[in-house]
Amino acid sequence: MIVSILASCASKSAVPIGDDLNVRVIVKKQNHDFWAVVELGALAAEREFGINVEYTGPTSEEDIDGQIRMVEAAIEDKVDAIVLAAIDYNLLVPVAEQARDAGIPVLIIDSNINSDRMNSFIGTDNVDAGRVLGQSLVDTMGTDVDIVIVSFVKGAASSNEREQGVMEIIEANENINLIDTLYCNSDEAIAEALTIDMLEKHKELDAFVCLNAYATVGTARGVISKGLEGDVKIIGFDSTPEEISYLEKDIIELVVVQNPFSMGYLGVKYAIEAAYGNTIPGNVNTGAVVITKENMYLPENQKLVFPFVD
Amino acid sequence: MNKVKRIGRSFKTIKGIFKLGSLQSVITISFAAITMIAMLVIGIVFYSSFSDNARESATESTTQIMTQAKLNLEYYLGTMVEISDLIEDNMALFTAGNTDKIADILSLTREIRQDIESITLYSDTGAILLAEPDLKFDRNLVPTREDWFTYAAANPFDYVFQPPHVQRIYEDLRPWVVTLSRSMVLDLTEGRRNYIAVVDMNFSGIEEVCSQVELGHRGYIYVVDDSGKIIYHPQQQLIYAGLKEENIQRALSNETGSFIEEFNGEEISTVIMGVEPSGWKMVGISYVDEIVRNRRSFNNLIVVILLVGLGFIVVASIYISYKISQPIKRLEYQMNRIERGDFNIENLEVRGEDEVKQLTRSFNVMIRRIKKLMSQIIDEQEAKRKNELKALQAQINPHFLYNTLDSIIWMNENENHEGVSEMTAALAKLFRISLSRGREIITVEEEVEHAVSYLTIQKMRYKNKFTYSINLPEELKNLRTMKLLMQPIIENAIYHGIANIPDEGRIQISVYRKEDTLVYKVSDNGYGIDENQLENILLEDSTSMHSSGVGLKNVNERIKLYYGYDFGVSIESVQEEGTTVYIRIPVRKEESGEKIS
Repeated sequence: MIVSILASCASKSAVPIGDDLNVRVIVKKQNHDFWAVVELGALAAEREFGINVEYTGPTSEEDIDGQIRMVEAAIEDKVDAIVLAAIDYNLLVPVAEQARDAGIPVLIIDSNINSDRMNSFIGTDNVDAGRVLGQSLVDTMGTDVDIVIVSFVKGAASSNEREQGVMEIIEANENINLIDTLYCNSDEAIAEALTIDMLEKHKELDAFVCLNAYATVGTARGVISKGLEGDVKIIGFDSTPEEISYLEKDIIELVVVQNPFSMGYLGVKYAIEAAYGNTIPGNVNTGAVVITKENMYLPENQKLVFPFVD
Repeated sequence: MNKVKRIGRSFKTIKGIFKLGSLQSVITISFAAITMIAMLVIGIVFYSSFSDNARESATESTTQIMTQAKLNLEYYLGTMVEISDLIEDNMALFTAGNTDKIADILSLTREIRQDIESITLYSDTGAILLAEPDLKFDRNLVPTREDWFTYAAANPFDYVFQPPHVQRIYEDLRPWVVTLSRSMVLDLTEGRRNYIAVVDMNFSGIEEVCSQVELGHRGYIYVVDDSGKIIYHPQQQLIYAGLKEENIQRALSNETGSFIEEFNGEEISTVIMGVEPSGWKMVGISYVDEIVRNRRSFNNLIVVILLVGLGFIVVASIYISYKISQPIKRLEYQMNRIERGDFNIENLEVRGEDEVKQLTRSFNVMIRRIKKLMSQIIDEQEAKRKNELKALQAQINPHFLYNTLDSIIWMNENENHEGVSEMTAALAKLFRISLSRGREIITVEEEVEHAVSYLTIQKMRYKNKFTYSINLPEELKNLRTMKLLMQPIIENAIYHGIANIPDEGRIQISVYRKEDTLVYKVSDNGYGIDENQLENILLEDSTSMHSSGVGLKNVNERIKLYYGYDFGVSIESVQEEGTTVYIRIPVRKEESGEKIS
């Protein structure tokens, strides 16, 4: 009787509220537009559920060892849950599984890892995002086009998946002529150089389909330097201020944007649920939205395109 | 062993408590229930008054905090209104062509208020007439397609506020702003002209004001305009992304004020305030338990007090009911023994409460009395048997029989055949009545016949040394009487009274009724009994040589045992004159009462 009364007191609220709950959010790179929005989402969840969120990430997106050390530190600190955006598809697997072995829920956001032991993946369905890219190409330019895909890292999960999505559309439309697929290694300068090279070799080129922000910006710069703005269309990805500027100047036709805020928010929200032992969805698609010059100022898109209030 | 016993006993006690209907269980349960109910009522009253208090203070503190935020917000908006008024006041300068002067004023204003992002003035066709700062305009901007332009144009003179949005007046500048636009109508010489003044204030200031409001850990405020568009919401993106819902319609439909509702088992206090002059509404959401932090601990305290109280009450009521019922139980146990016929118990120890003491005492007295009565009955029965035995012996007194038979033989030798037959007949009658087939009760007639037979025999033996007379009224003959009452008296009269006197003895027997009493009166004219003897004659067993062994005392006791203490034998005697003995028994027509077996 005593136990039941006390228990009924304790379990009064449906949403678990734990002042002592610690969630470690480890992203790919600190101080970056995209990850800063992820952080905003994580902080929104921290405030809503009254827990502690610690947000970390290496300074460079190549610092795989740094990120592994951060996961190790989280295990050592005995945090209640880890939210991880993995830099590498394979190399983060051992340490992430080590966390699982230690009984810590691990939720992957944005970039998945090669393991089926993680509690959840929350992020853009990259194949779907690729399909959106391909479909918007068809929607804006028709099917009789010669295109180049500018991907980022050959073999990286997200670039593979986005490519796969684009390829599904291309294969469904026989008239689309894929000239080449380029890899810029997430470097704007490389993307620019590859673009210039491509433009010189293939005068018939109608459009570039770029699979991330670096590829988009580099390609746009290349097109500008060849003075082909408007003649060669760019279908881009993500919404950095430079991309938005190009979008408004009609250099970029459209961009497909993700929802990093939802990744951060849902990552932490489901991490709390997992820490309390509740079942959570194994896969959450945060979606991808097509942003054009026309719809970018709609109230529902403004926050996606311009996430920060200065 | 001892321990096991004790455990067994205490187990028995516990079982005794919960045997429904037992005194102890009734006391325990009712005592505990009444006290619990009282405690619960008190607890509930306390809790609800505390709860009401908590709600009030939660609403109060939310209102206080929000009032501050509202004032800050109104200050921001007020600044925009002032700037807009400033433009209006100085429109004369503008229409007079003194554009530089007004540009200076606006520039100065913006320098003072750094959070003013831009101040612009448009013609009614959307042409930019004035802009501070004076930067490169965005080529994509078409003012007549922007909400802040069209709304103002449609509502001249009104201060029209736009919810936060990304402003794109200038190329590559995309600040989040709140916009105040106002359409002004000026009558000029060339005719009536419309102008639209637009003040953009950076949203960060407003957001800061709102986001800094802390209503507990999870409470927050949000601001909506009169059409339900969100001005500020800490989780605006969640709402856009469909991850969170806010009941904005409710805030819109409600006037300003506060209310409390329950959501997901939590009490949520909502406070709504108007923000002038925008028509915006500021809504504060706070969790009562967070604002009034001690409420939950107070709840827990109440629960703990109730539980501890319950435990205490149960223990106390078990103890108290045990104290009350234990002596009664002991009494009950002893009574059970008596019920089973076991009177072999000592006095109960008198202890416990006054009532129980009294009960125990009365019980003890009762037991003592019963024991005494029982021993009395036993004594009486013994005496009865003894007397019966003696009476029985008297019936066949061998001494008397020998003497009588000797007399018969003697008379026979003297050929006194008449005497022989008379005596034998009297003896036969005497014994027939004595035995009476074992009956104790006979008719008065038979009793008298018995006496006559006896007198006949004795008279013959004593050679007519005495005479006797009998007076038996006819109506008394059929009354019932114990047998052999008179014979011992007559025997006494003969042996002790008239045997030793020189004159002829006289024995008179009369039977009469006095109300409900039947009296046998036996008087003689014998020697009489001296006073000393008279006092003791009924107490002693007068077993003199001549006595048949059944003396006056025996007759007296037999009567008293059989008929009760109101009846018996009494003697009157005067020395040298004679003795009268009265035998009193009740008048009984039928054989009734105790049957002597």
